[in-house]
Amino acid sequence: MPVALPEVKETWSGKIVEVTLGAGPDKGGTRGRTVTVGGETALPFLHFEGQIPNRPVIAAEVSDRAPEDWSSLLTEAWGGVLEDPASWAARAEELGAEVIALSLDSAHPERGDTGAKEARATVRKVLEATSLPLIIYGPGQIDKDNEVLVAAAEEAKGERVALGNCEEKNYRTIVAAALANDQAVIAKTPIDVNLAKQLNVLIGDMGLARDRIIMDPTTGALGYGIEYTYSVMERVRLAALTGDAALQEPLLVTAGYEAWRAKEARTSEGVPAQWGDWNQRGLLWEANTSVTLLGTGADILVLRHPETISLVKYAVDELMKGV
Amino acid sequence: MALTGIAIYKMLAQTNCKECGYPTCLAFAMKLAARQVELSACPYVSEEVKAQLDSAAAPPVRLVSVGPEGHSLEVGNETVVYRHEKTFVHQPGVFFRLRADLDDQAFAERLDAVADYHIERVGQTLGPDGVAIEADSAPADRFASLVGKAAGKDVALILMASDPAVMEAGLKAAGASRPLIYPADAANQEAMVALAKTYKAPLVLRGADGDLEALANLADEAVKQGLEDLVLDPGTRGWADSLSALTRLRRAAIKKNFRPLGYPAIAFAGEAGDGPEKEAMLASQFIDRYAGFIVLDNFEPAALYSLLTLRQNIYTDPQKPIQVTPGLYEIGEPKAESPVLVTTNFSLTYFSVAGEVEGAGRPAWLLVSDSEGMSVLTAWAAGKFDAEAIGKAVKNTGIADKISHKKIVIPGAVATISGELEEELSGWEILVGPREAIGIPSYLRYLASNN
Amino acid sequence: MSRYIARAAIRGANMIVGEAEQMVTSAVEDLGADTPVAFTNTAYYLPVILGFTGKEVTTLGQLPEVVDHAKKLLVDAPAKSLWLPYLGETLDAGAATLLAFEAMEGVRFARGQQPEPIQGLNLTGTSFTSPDSNGGARGDGGGFANGPIDDIQLRAWGIQLVDGRMPGFAAIVGAARSNEAAVSIVRELQKRNILVFLSGNVNGRSIIHQLMEEGVEMGYDTYIVPFGTDTISAIYALGFATRSALTFGGMTGGAVRDILLYNKYRVFAFVLALGEVDDLKYAAAAGAINYGFPVIADTLIPQILPTGVTTYEHVVSMPFDDIEGATDAEKARRMIQRCMEVRGVKVKITDVPIPVPYGSAFEGERVRKADLRVEFGGSKAHAFEYLRMVDTDQVEDGRITVVGPDFADLPEGGAMNLGIVIEVAGRKMQEDFEPVLERQVHYFVNGASGIQHVGQRDITWVRFSKGAVDKGFSIKNIGDILYARYHGEFGAIVDKVQVTLYTDPAEFEKWLGRARDAYQQRNVRLADMVDESVEEFYSCTLCQSFAPNHVCVVSPERLGLCGAYNWLDCKASYQINPTGPNQPIPKGIPLDKDLGIWQGSNAFAYQNTHQTVERVSLYSIMQDPMTACGCFECIAIIIPEANGVMVVSREDPSMTPAGMTFSTLAGVCGGGIQTPGMMGMGKYYLLSKKFISAEGGLKRVVWMSSFLKDTMAEDLKAVCEREGDPELLDKIADERYVTTVDELLPFLEEHGHPALAMESIL
Repeated sequence: MPVALPEVKETWSGKIVEVTLGAGPDKGGTRGRTVTVGGETALPFLHFEGQIPNRPVIAAEVSDRAPEDWSSLLTEAWGGVLEDPASWAARAEELGAEVIALSLDSAHPERGDTGAKEARATVRKVLEATSLPLIIYGPGQIDKDNEVLVAAAEEAKGERVALGNCEEKNYRTIVAAALANDQAVIAKTPIDVNLAKQLNVLIGDMGLARDRIIMDPTTGALGYGIEYTYSVMERVRLAALTGDAALQEPLLVTAGYEAWRAKEARTSEGVPAQWGDWNQRGLLWEANTSVTLLGTGADILVLRHPETISLVKYAVDELMKGV
Repeated sequence: MALTGIAIYKMLAQTNCKECGYPTCLAFAMKLAARQVELSACPYVSEEVKAQLDSAAAPPVRLVSVGPEGHSLEVGNETVVYRHEKTFVHQPGVFFRLRADLDDQAFAERLDAVADYHIERVGQTLGPDGVAIEADSAPADRFASLVGKAAGKDVALILMASDPAVMEAGLKAAGASRPLIYPADAANQEAMVALAKTYKAPLVLRGADGDLEALANLADEAVKQGLEDLVLDPGTRGWADSLSALTRLRRAAIKKNFRPLGYPAIAFAGEAGDGPEKEAMLASQFIDRYAGFIVLDNFEPAALYSLLTLRQNIYTDPQKPIQVTPGLYEIGEPKAESPVLVTTNFSLTYFSVAGEVEGAGRPAWLLVSDSEGMSVLTAWAAGKFDAEAIGKAVKNTGIADKISHKKIVIPGAVATISGELEEELSGWEILVGPREAIGIPSYLRYLASNN
Repeated sequence: MSRYIARAAIRGANMIVGEAEQMVTSAVEDLGADTPVAFTNTAYYLPVILGFTGKEVTTLGQLPEVVDHAKKLLVDAPAKSLWLPYLGETLDAGAATLLAFEAMEGVRFARGQQPEPIQGLNLTGTSFTSPDSNGGARGDGGGFANGPIDDIQLRAWGIQLVDGRMPGFAAIVGAARSNEAAVSIVRELQKRNILVFLSGNVNGRSIIHQLMEEGVEMGYDTYIVPFGTDTISAIYALGFATRSALTFGGMTGGAVRDILLYNKYRVFAFVLALGEVDDLKYAAAAGAINYGFPVIADTLIPQILPTGVTTYEHVVSMPFDDIEGATDAEKARRMIQRCMEVRGVKVKITDVPIPVPYGSAFEGERVRKADLRVEFGGSKAHAFEYLRMVDTDQVEDGRITVVGPDFADLPEGGAMNLGIVIEVAGRKMQEDFEPVLERQVHYFVNGASGIQHVGQRDITWVRFSKGAVDKGFSIKNIGDILYARYHGEFGAIVDKVQVTLYTDPAEFEKWLGRARDAYQQRNVRLADMVDESVEEFYSCTLCQSFAPNHVCVVSPERLGLCGAYNWLDCKASYQINPTGPNQPIPKGIPLDKDLGIWQGSNAFAYQNTHQTVERVSLYSIMQDPMTACGCFECIAIIIPEANGVMVVSREDPSMTPAGMTFSTLAGVCGGGIQTPGMMGMGKYYLLSKKFISAEGGLKRVVWMSSFLKDTMAEDLKAVCEREGDPELLDKIADERYVTTVDELLPFLEEHGHPALAMESIL
């Protein structure tokens, strides 16, 4: 042929760290299933230029307190299990979730102010109800996060859960709890490459191994800043693949939480007709946020709607088909 | 290799004639170096210089226009592989496929639905770009009649027919609407290229299964035959294969300056055949990754709205963020005694604040001050969110007439302006709110309990 | 290493290892080799033995091996006449001592002799080690010492030690010179949230007894843990340290080097030896030094000051009677302060102890005339602020003094003079940081509700509102604020802070004079600081959030583009936040002195622009100029027609001779790209000798926003003179005369601008 194609395959020197969540009986835990994410040596799903040994996984969000502010689309889709985190987690497992992201929301001073004891009981109950690995979130208030996550870390000792969020303000306590109980952490920073890097370095300085850190770069939902997350994640992944060891951690995105905060997903009242069918819009708000972030390197997607779980799993199936 | 603006400047006439639309030759040279304009805008470039500059300065992805002169859809001119390197330039066109086997009524309804769809989002009007009319096995006159109907609407057209005779009938019916012709492949290339030349319409070259080398040769042939406005269909229809093909196309054009693949790409989201949600998800991938034209089969407003939103987001210039219109916003249904919160008109700031107020379930007035699209701290540092600006916003919106108190909450990050603002707005009480939007719900609760 | 200490420690070690051997041998004989040996409620066996040898001891029969191991570490005590460095031998003797101690405690547990019974001792909190250790449980008033700390408590405290809520622990051995001293020492430690471990005695009397007599509660709840009344029980402190490394450092038994280094760098502990130090205590101290824990004694002993195994001094003697202070309490405070310095323990202060609300929300408040109680500075009085670095022994941390009268006698709205003098000391403090820290006074003081601060140096102006004074705000509170905030924000470089507030007229004048001398010296020093005089530049990558490939290279003669960060700011910022956006850039080999290109700055830029920018010149606009972020104060761009450069400032919205306004220009060169012929810059760069020196400096400037000309008139005139063209500023056009390139040339010709005659800029 007269025209020869130039080589466009990039060669990368870096590799994303493989992180395993969950520990089975062989490792001192009780999980029936574990997941491993990371390990990529290529940009997302570009199978022609490197290895993508592990598929991105779906985590289902489960709260220890029936959510009050959730869209009725969500509460109706889940039904009665929302009252009980254990049944909720079990149901999520049936629906195909690969990780349970348990939020100890009731510990929030304004949402119940429960403490270490309740946190332990919830963690125990959920561990017993599901065979899946756990991510455990505090209520997002630093003091209470420190209180309940330390307790949760101890209660789940041996199960290799991920503790979140581990932020600049409280990383020392969360990392200490992870160190003491052999857990992993979710390192969360506000949409910024250098802050993400800095937090990873600080966590590393405390002695937590790289294969126990997952980064949450902070998710913007479709219509609400997704482009920032898209670009920051892309930059993080490029830096990682070009050899910046401090950014080679797998990425987690909270697509469900962010997408369902959007008015477009949450309500059908007083919205323009052009917004179309509410149910479909809600699902797609979450699913399209997910697809976009899969494309920029998401390794774990925390989702909310049962149907989105299967939609996004389908997308991952398709994307994992090598060329 | 890219040339610097200075190097280009040295080759220009240096007369500052302004005919290119730029005030000085240096300004034009800088734009050229950034590959944001075409060299042809300068009437005084010698052939010799042109030859030197052409490959260095021409946009690596050709700009292709579809639709009548004046209000055409422009696609291409992309200069980067990654959005953060500069920006993605021209949004991909979103098209809906109308097959010739639809009955007339269904065809008309679908056509109208596409043509009539408009929606406002953060100050921009969003909508699909046009329809792709597919002949399938319909005869030429049927195809022509359908194209004629669509040509009467204000939509861009893609004509899909493999038989050059059918295509020519369609092109005639399209009149001056300059449709995109689809497809030319190894079998019909010669005839289709001829049609494209005759009707001065851009042409899609169709490859098979992501074989880019074959596609590059098709393009090379077409160029040799004198055609410049091309669009490429790598022939992939799935998720991973399309991602790979479109990525390789973009890289070849931009990183390797490989001319034969330096054209926008077209992608078909409906041919994976999995229903509207999955189609929309695949279309999302196409928006994110390098499609110039996207053809959908299912017209679902909810799906369309999510795609238009995504397209708006991804094609935002990272250095020029979206702004919301300054003014007074009602969150919930605020009453006279509801609190007044002030923030900037950077869209992300606005959305974070509005989202938290909404989430808090306590109605409030949100006063959005014109900060030229900067976030709170940036705007404050640049002097765009100072006491004067906020004072102006308070006066311009007439908020004082809508409320029964005189209190205004400023973001905690700019607590330092509270004193000045108190002077600017005499009689008002300036309250300092939380530093981060996430603190708003508890702050509103605190306000309510202290009233 | 002090030979005296080496001899004593080695003697002590030999003695105790011998004793341990006997104890182990007879226990194996009495009880049998299979008798279990365990510390209660811990999964770490005998932890120090585990750490040093990797042996998981579970029975008496394993202890003889441990004693053998200890014996191998021993040498004979050095003869008095020999003069050799004994560091290695002494440390080994210390390690042997610890092994012997722990083996002995193992035996005592096996024999049921641990925890040690102490008549009348009641521990607060649940001790998992000895659930019936509370005397009450046995009903006879008898009690037990705590013995080793259980794993649950280890994790709870460990997390606080690791996350910094608890600064460290103090292992106290012996007895204080008085009960009052004992209580004061412990209280001082408690106040600082430092964990206290107690053991040992002097002639049979232990600090545990002293605290019992004074009614001090001991136990987990009060963070005071009595291990036992003999020196041997001090091993539990080192067991705690070892287990911290195993638990939080992810180390394994036997990884002794890692465990010791972990403790040196992460566990801020020290040993406080109270009373006479005998051979056994020296031996135990040598063991602690292995962990990087220094020893502070309240008696006269030889010191080991050079650093090495510990971060700072090894052994410090502070005879209690010689410590300054009227009471034992005061002496105790000074001694603990010294302990913290020796170990490098940082205090954390989170609350600002003043009678008015404090926080950034109050930063912008104004105090108006009607609300004014008193003002310092302004038109009717003078005020100044002066921060200086002094030697650590000249600062008493936390001391706040007001010298002179209060404002009580002043009428409402009155004014008086005030000098704010802040003296800081710190091992990482540098004189260069004085102005950086001093500038913070403004932000710190403004955080108080009802207090307003403006100005700096000797034009400071502080106002107190009536409301604040009614609530009790006093001059001294300024010191409280500054003390708390300097520790809070600058703890990385400041160890000690004292504040003196001068209202006394004579003292005020005296210190004002000193302050002015210092300001003058600083100005001179800044002027003398040139790029050639430093080894390192600093980076600023703060803007990468929106300009991903932008790196500011900040040198003494070129400040950051935004104008907010000069070289000193970056240097201080790096000290405070070593992983932050300001990193040192070693200059490396100069590649081109005229253009300002160094190997080091190129390498740094290449890496941190993600392989996009290969070369950066600091002094040129034409060749490889610095990338531009977006928050630059000014933009410089060449005007080829005029053979010069124009500089437009952010404040100037007018059209420029480049045919573009500031904002259009910003769109062309911003975003982190390198655009030859254009660059972003901080406005003070105009005054630098290195301002586009490759192209001829200020003489190349043919047009400049009038804002810059006006606001920097004095400084620019000085530069014009320096450049040998005193009238230069008038030859430079601005938007009042010229807004197009066509108008520019006639203006330049008319004024005889030097650029026209310079070599071609292209």
